[in-house]
Order: sequence, then structure tokens, then C-alpha cells
Amino acid sequence: MSALQAAAPPQQVAAAGFGRTLHSEWIKLWSVRSTWWTMIALVILGAGLTTLICWGNAEWLASAEADESPGSFITWGMMIAQVCAVIVGVMTVTSEYGTGMIRTTLAATPARGRVLAAKAVVVTGLLFVIGTLTALLGYVGGNWFLDREGIGMSLDGDVARSMYGSGLFLGGLGLFSLAVGFLVRHTAGAISIVLALVFVIGNMVLLVPGDLGIFLERVMPGNAGGALASPVPFNPHLLGAWPSFGIFVAEIAAVLGAAWFLLRRRDA
Amino acid sequence: MIRAQGLTKTFGDRTAVKGVDFTVEPGRVTGFLGPNGAGKSTTMRMALGLDAPTQGSVTVNGHRYAASPAPLREVGALLEAHAIHPGRSARDHLRWLAASNGIPTTRVGEVLEQVGLDSVAGQRAGRFSLGMGQRLGIASALIGNPPVVILDEPVNGLDPEGIRWVRELARDLASEGRTVFISSHLMSEMALMADHLIVIGAGAILADCSMQQFMADHAASYVRVKAPQSTEVEALLVGRGLEVLRAGDELRVQGLDAPAIGELVGTQGLLLHELTLVRSSLEDAFMALTADSVEYHAKASQKVAR
Repeated sequence: MSALQAAAPPQQVAAAGFGRTLHSEWIKLWSVRSTWWTMIALVILGAGLTTLICWGNAEWLASAEADESPGSFITWGMMIAQVCAVIVGVMTVTSEYGTGMIRTTLAATPARGRVLAAKAVVVTGLLFVIGTLTALLGYVGGNWFLDREGIGMSLDGDVARSMYGSGLFLGGLGLFSLAVGFLVRHTAGAISIVLALVFVIGNMVLLVPGDLGIFLERVMPGNAGGALASPVPFNPHLLGAWPSFGIFVAEIAAVLGAAWFLLRRRDA
Repeated sequence: MIRAQGLTKTFGDRTAVKGVDFTVEPGRVTGFLGPNGAGKSTTMRMALGLDAPTQGSVTVNGHRYAASPAPLREVGALLEAHAIHPGRSARDHLRWLAASNGIPTTRVGEVLEQVGLDSVAGQRAGRFSLGMGQRLGIASALIGNPPVVILDEPVNGLDPEGIRWVRELARDLASEGRTVFISSHLMSEMALMADHLIVIGAGAILADCSMQQFMADHAASYVRVKAPQSTEVEALLVGRGLEVLRAGDELRVQGLDAPAIGELVGTQGLLLHELTLVRSSLEDAFMALTADSVEYHAKASQKVAR
């Protein structure tokens, strides 16, 4: 019986806090290589492409014929890097459904809302930090070329906001993707849905004429969330950075709510 | 202890588990036996709070599984051996499990050693053989040193040495006073491992008794007697109140063991050509018991049976 006595009686186990679930999800996140590769790709794409596009366009932007603002270019790479945020967000959830490991997770932590919350915090926090740092790195690289043409921007105002705005956008997009992952429970399906919404449908609505078209341009998640990540968005129809981001947050809340509701109801 | 009361689960119009009642007691290995699709896994998933019962309830240690603040310290379970991220190492898999329930990390090394995976703990689980995956699943079940252990088909994919290991582990866990609940679709395996048997077929409990009781009830045995003067022998045995069934030129006798029958016939001066104890296997008994509840019959095997 000695082995049994070693096991603490349940009532003596302090109520398993959110911290444990969070720690557990943190270990999960970093113990698979795909997280590392995706984060490395995010930094390279985000900072690298921003630097590249600024190098290629600095001369034109400084010339008289430029019809775009340098502010639209200084976080350009983040538009591509957001694919990595989608992948991390989705994979955090669907890799568990794909292997059946979700049942181990939910048996270890039967409070399902807590599992969802812990994954959300881990993914959003990671992407906010990496996203902001990547944007800063891209700014340093891109602005060096803009500076050479005399159109460099100082790191304040809308430019500074676009830095942590990039972090917030990627964090939000990761969260959105995670929620879709819980709804769809299938890696390819969830990634396709989010990428289609952000990249394909988000741009196709530009073809819709009239006020409806403008409305759709403003509210598509990629467009609404992305407004915060650029000092001067390419799309002039978008609402201001913060009102746009408010729309994005509302959309995330809706999808996350649906995910929470179904996760608690469905059999694992 | 695990207790199911009126436990029912329906999927659409199919009833997987039909109002079952049973108790799994501590200190012994309870086998949960049934053909594929009988409702074993569904019942176990309900015990772990993964599937919600349509009706009835199942409790572990007197309360709902989900009510436990650190369930892995109360119940350890192996559900599917492959339910492990292929890119994560065995050690990391156990680390996150331990963290989720506030279990000291020293347990990770202990269970890895216990299941014999300590030398490959750093390898990615995707490279593991079926048997190694199964061992890692068992390590996951034991991480919280739980008084209740649930193993769903633990010997699947194991080599003979591994099967013997699981058998001994189950017995050890039970002898430590734990509740051990093991499902299988193999009667032969259960016969070697379980003290108590719960047989399920098509979602209903068909038998719930000790292994010995099950053998006595279901594994019918008789003595096959062949004799040149079989009519006289038959009359003699029937006269002694034994049950005798004639099948061709052989007599099937129940109620007396073979040596006693031999002596009886011999003292009457009759000759015997054969005297054999015939025991129908437990596997046969199990097949007979669950014959009506098997989901998919193989046509070929039916032909053979006829």
C-alpha cells in the first residue's frame, strides 16, 4: 500500500490553478519543432520582406511621382508573416485533434474553458512579443534605406503604434485561428478557412461595388485587424486604426465564444 | 472504485451503451471484455468525463471525474496509444502532463524507468514502435501515481514480452490496493490477467462475476468415452445418475472425472477405447456469449462455424 499512500488525497491537492494549465500549454508549445520553425519563418518573412521592399522602393517613394506613403511600406513584411501566426494558432489546437491527444489534455484538465483560455494566452502572448520585435527589426532594416533617400521616419506616433500594432494584430490573428481550430478540429480545414478569409475574400471584396463593398472591406478580419499594424494603410477606405481593431476584436470574441460553447458541449 | 449506474450513451439513433450498472472494486484486476464496438471505449470515455452520458452516471472514487481538482492523481488512463504528438519527445509529453496537474517533475523520470523507456526518453514519439507508444501511454497513466488505473486495450501491438510485462504490471498495481480496469477483446488475455470479469456486448452487460465463476459457468467440460460395447457403458453411466450425451460413436459424460469413470467401467468388466477430458475454451465461451451482439460478422467464419 506504500505506493498508494504516496499519492496525496484529492482534498489535499490545492485547487489546480490556471497557472498549471498555462505552464502545461507552454511546455507543449515549445516542445515541438514546428513552433520554432514557424517563429523563425515569421521573423525572417516579417523583417526581411519589409527591409527588401523598402530597399526596392525607397528611391521611387522619395521621388515626385510616388503616390504611396513610405508609412505603407515600413511594416509591409508583416502582411506575409501573418501566415505564420495563422499556422501557430491553428496547430496549437488541431495537432491535438489530429493525433487524439486532445483527449489526454481534456482528461488531465477537465475544465475545458481553462484549456481554451490557457492556449489563448500562450499563443496570443507569444505572437504579440514576436510580432512586435519582428516589426521593430523590419523598421530598423527598412528605415535604413528610407533614410538614405531622406524619407526616413522617426519611431514615434503612428510608426511606434504600428510596431506594437503588428504584435497586437498577429496575436489577434493567432487567437482567431485558434478559435477556428477548435471549431473545425482539422488542420488543413482550419488553415484554409482562415487564409481564405484573410487573403482571398479580404481582397476580393474590393471588387464589390458601392457602400456594401466599402463596408465589407472595412470589416473583413484581415483588413480590420491589419489597419493597426501599418502607419498608413494602403486601403484608404478603412476606418481609423483603433476603431478598425475594435471590429477585429469583436470578431475574435464571437468566434472564440462559439469555440468555447462547442468545446464544452461536444464529446471529446 | 468506479461505479456506473444506468449509464447510457446514444449516438444519433444508435445506442452504444444501454443503461449499464457495474462496480469496479479496488485491489483486483477487473477485465472489461467485449467484441469491437461493444461499448467498452465509450464507457471508459464517459468515466473520464470526455463523453457526456445521455443518461445515468459514472463516478470515480465517489464523485464525477471532472469534479477532481487534479484528476491525474486520482485516475490514470491509457485510451489510445497513438494519441501522442509525433514531434514531441516522450519526456516532454510526460512533462506537460505532470505540469497540468501539479505533479512533481521527478515523477517523469520515475515512470519512464518503470515502463523501460528511459533510454529513449529524448527521442521523438513519432519514431516509436507501436509497443513503445503503448508503454509511453501507460507511463502517462501512471504519472500521477493514481489509485485508479484505466487501460483501454493495453496489450494491442505489444510483443509477447511486452504482453507479459503489462500482465505483471496490472497484477502489481492491483496488489498495491489500486482499482485496475482493463479492456480487451481477447478472452485469452483476460483469463491470464483478470480476477474479475465484466463482459459487455452491444452495449449491455452480459456477465459480471469473478474469473473463476466465469470459467465454471461457461467453460463446459466433459469426458469423452469411446467403448466397443457403448450401449452397455451408456446404460451403466446413466444408471449412476450421470449426464450422458451420445454423439456418433462417442459418449459425452458430465458429472464424474475421467479416472473415476475409467474405474467404474473397468470394475464392470467393460472395455474402453478412449477416455479423454474435453474442455471447451474460454474463447469459445466468450464467443458464444457475445455471438448475438457482435457488430460485424465475417461471412467466412460463419461458414466454418456451421
